[in-house]
Amino acid sequence: MIKTDVIIIGGGATGCGIARDLALRGIPHCLVEKGDFAAGATGACHGLLHSGGRYAVTDPQAARECYEENLILRRIGKKCVEQTGGLFVRLPGDSKRFREVFLKGCEEVGIPAEVLSSTKAFDLVPNLNPEIEEAIRVPDCSIDPFRLCLLNIRTSELRGGIIFTRHKVTEIIKAHGRCIGIKAIDQSTGMNKEIHGNIIINATGAWANIIASLAGSEVPMTLVKGSLVITNHRLTNMVISRLRHPSDGDIIVPNEAVCLAGTTSLSVEDPDRISIEYPEVDTIISEAGRMIPHFNNTRIIRAFSGVRPLLKSQKIDSHEISRGFRIINHENGLYSIVGGKLSTFRLMAEKMVDTIMASFNLKKTCETAEISLDGQEELSGYPLAKRLADLKNIVCECELVTRGDVERIIKQTSTRNVGDIQHRTRLGMGPCQGGFCTFRALGIMNDMSVISPEQSMEILRNFLQRRYKGIRHALWGDQLREEQLVEYIYLGILAMEKSK
Amino acid sequence: MSVTEYDVVIIGAGAAGLTTGALLAERGFNVALVTTGEPTACLSTGCIDVCSCDENPLTGIKNLPPEHPFHLVDEKTIRQSLNYFQTVMMDMGMPYAGSIEKNRSVVSALGTFKTSCLVPSTMEAAPQNNTDSIHIVTFKGIKDFYPGYIVSRRKNTNFSVFDAGVYSIMSIASRFEDKNFFERFIIWMDKLRIDEDKIALPAVAGLESASEIVNSIAVLMGKPVFEIPTIPPSMPGRRLFNALKKYFRKKGGAIYWAWPVVGTEKTGKLIEAVTTHSEGRPNSINARAFILGTGSFVGGGLTATRQDITENVFNLPVHISGPRETWFDNDYFSLNHGIGRAGIIVDSSMRPADSPWNNIFLCGGILAETEILKNGCGHGLALATAHAAAQSCAEYLSHEL
Repeated sequence: MIKTDVIIIGGGATGCGIARDLALRGIPHCLVEKGDFAAGATGACHGLLHSGGRYAVTDPQAARECYEENLILRRIGKKCVEQTGGLFVRLPGDSKRFREVFLKGCEEVGIPAEVLSSTKAFDLVPNLNPEIEEAIRVPDCSIDPFRLCLLNIRTSELRGGIIFTRHKVTEIIKAHGRCIGIKAIDQSTGMNKEIHGNIIINATGAWANIIASLAGSEVPMTLVKGSLVITNHRLTNMVISRLRHPSDGDIIVPNEAVCLAGTTSLSVEDPDRISIEYPEVDTIISEAGRMIPHFNNTRIIRAFSGVRPLLKSQKIDSHEISRGFRIINHENGLYSIVGGKLSTFRLMAEKMVDTIMASFNLKKTCETAEISLDGQEELSGYPLAKRLADLKNIVCECELVTRGDVERIIKQTSTRNVGDIQHRTRLGMGPCQGGFCTFRALGIMNDMSVISPEQSMEILRNFLQRRYKGIRHALWGDQLREEQLVEYIYLGILAMEKSK
Repeated sequence: MSVTEYDVVIIGAGAAGLTTGALLAERGFNVALVTTGEPTACLSTGCIDVCSCDENPLTGIKNLPPEHPFHLVDEKTIRQSLNYFQTVMMDMGMPYAGSIEKNRSVVSALGTFKTSCLVPSTMEAAPQNNTDSIHIVTFKGIKDFYPGYIVSRRKNTNFSVFDAGVYSIMSIASRFEDKNFFERFIIWMDKLRIDEDKIALPAVAGLESASEIVNSIAVLMGKPVFEIPTIPPSMPGRRLFNALKKYFRKKGGAIYWAWPVVGTEKTGKLIEAVTTHSEGRPNSINARAFILGTGSFVGGGLTATRQDITENVFNLPVHISGPRETWFDNDYFSLNHGIGRAGIIVDSSMRPADSPWNNIFLCGGILAETEILKNGCGHGLALATAHAAAQSCAEYLSHEL
């Protein structure tokens, strides 16, 4: 049995941020995540570090928080934030009145917003639709959510935090009406762990109500699915948003070598049973195509969905529900933190930890906004020279990942999961979506004897099934050709068994 | 624009196109073949899958759905097409083993069994079950072959690693063509004192003379030796393509390499010419008949957009399962993807149905309703329909005269 002070359930940006905050304030803690870091909404968003512009009109409070956090993260997280800047573009037919309210909103919140002529906007982003009327420049940025989680966790690890990924919480242990600990199952070995603590924080996003119910508590939420597509090219170096009321398909975010475009907004019941619908993909592509026409004929490599855990609201249009967050004290030792967004994760963590400190009558103040994220100096970013240094040992040609990189991650994390390698090296993130390199990554695991043949076959099957879920919504043109080749490789050349 | 005239122009350099070309050239027709580049055959295992869903390929074919294009070819022609292929490949120094009466197994790089009908002689000694013990010889730094997959699935199987000094499949294969390298390899092998029943190596034993090389290793080691096909780039697929290409040229066929077709000229019910894009200028190639063997999506015969699927050379009507929602099944492994049925429907003379053209004949992967992966019928169908298309085309050309 493990004993600690605070147990955090959930390894998304919020959970990882709380772990870092607790670590900096010297509070012993343990984080338990059922998958890998950033497996929920954190990793399934467009990776936008909001300037606040998007909410300046509809939700000034959220807008203010976003802008303040934007400034902080640009300062403390230089290696996971790309300071792209953003343009809100107005197309013919888009309301001029909204432009006025937008500028006024930005001014009130204090977000720097500069009106640019269409000519000036083309200079910045040559791929823009030539028909745009004008653009407003705001300090939007692109952020790598997975890297962000890892860097937050690094601080926790350096200061003695206990971290368990791939551990699913099965039970919240109660004594005399108070939550005193959890039971979790290690999903790779099937072993159970019992962890005791004084406080349990439920930072599980869309799964918050499921976890709260283990303690007999409730979290009122509205689950809203958002879908996105990824292009094979970086069509813009700036974040491009549509200057209109928030609606489907109004944002394009550059990230590393690709672009993400989205989103949609549809209410769902169960966060574990979401799927993308064909019309969503078509809507995103045609709406993004109105801002950057190349979208209509560029190669889409994958589509994916995330579930936003929004605060319960009566509003019918989910675009209108507040992006603010709330801390719920269940009065039994369990706290839930819900709502919010990636851009404000640090603030959410700060408020959460402040609440705990208050309840323990501890005084140490939050330092997460002042101290830079740990471990950034080790991050490579995307320097080509570094990736090409060991050319003959490259196992993922799309993202230039070497055998050495893969072996290092397997040793470091003793993972049996291809996803863990993907997240940490970008293996399989390119156009073939792991079609070639997963066979190699598992082959390396086989060679290193960390998995058995039955496991490797099972992992491969699961990987292909999961991968298919994402790419099947992008299967036309060259992506379809690539997919047919990959299908032929696994089911034809390698004669993969369908099942046992 | 330069203009050249042929009896037949073949579009596509896969097994279907090259075989049709060779058959027509043998009948005395003046044949040219245009291709955008290397065919998907180069990516294949080189095996001839006829119908892998039954122990007996012919029974398998009989059980295929009625709309399957295999039913357009009679059993006699199917047999004849495989015999012809084996004769051609023997002639080209790349003999194939197997018979149409019974499918056989090839060991895959995952250690599973792949079912096929005719296999390169270099894979003939592959065990047909899990009893034989195997010693795998692999090569240092090779990134598309991991003996661990196979060793961990089979009892009494071990492996050794040879340092060839080069690390890609293509470069190792070309080293094998070198006598000194081969001798060094054999001396090293000798020292291993292999106890196992059979010796396996990834398919890198030579470019063109693989059959001889594998044979020599077997003779020198006194044990059966077989190759394991790898994922692309695949040497056995490349050898198959090179052999068929050489045979076609030997029979007098001309090949226009890297000349994609960009347009066609038509009169009434006839295609008069195809325009190809080549260095510096467009070229018009006139012919009395055309063979379309451009394959499916990977081969470049068909292109899908978000809304539709089109045929890329003659814009023939494409048979599809329905809107995009129907192209893919929820389960990746079900192989019931509607997209596998996309292609061009032909009549019994291998001419495209529902289109006015009298002088186009189709063969291979571009045909509709093939479901190649599900039925395991890729190259087998290509060879059989090549014979049917060549037959129809020859009849048409003789009548026209």
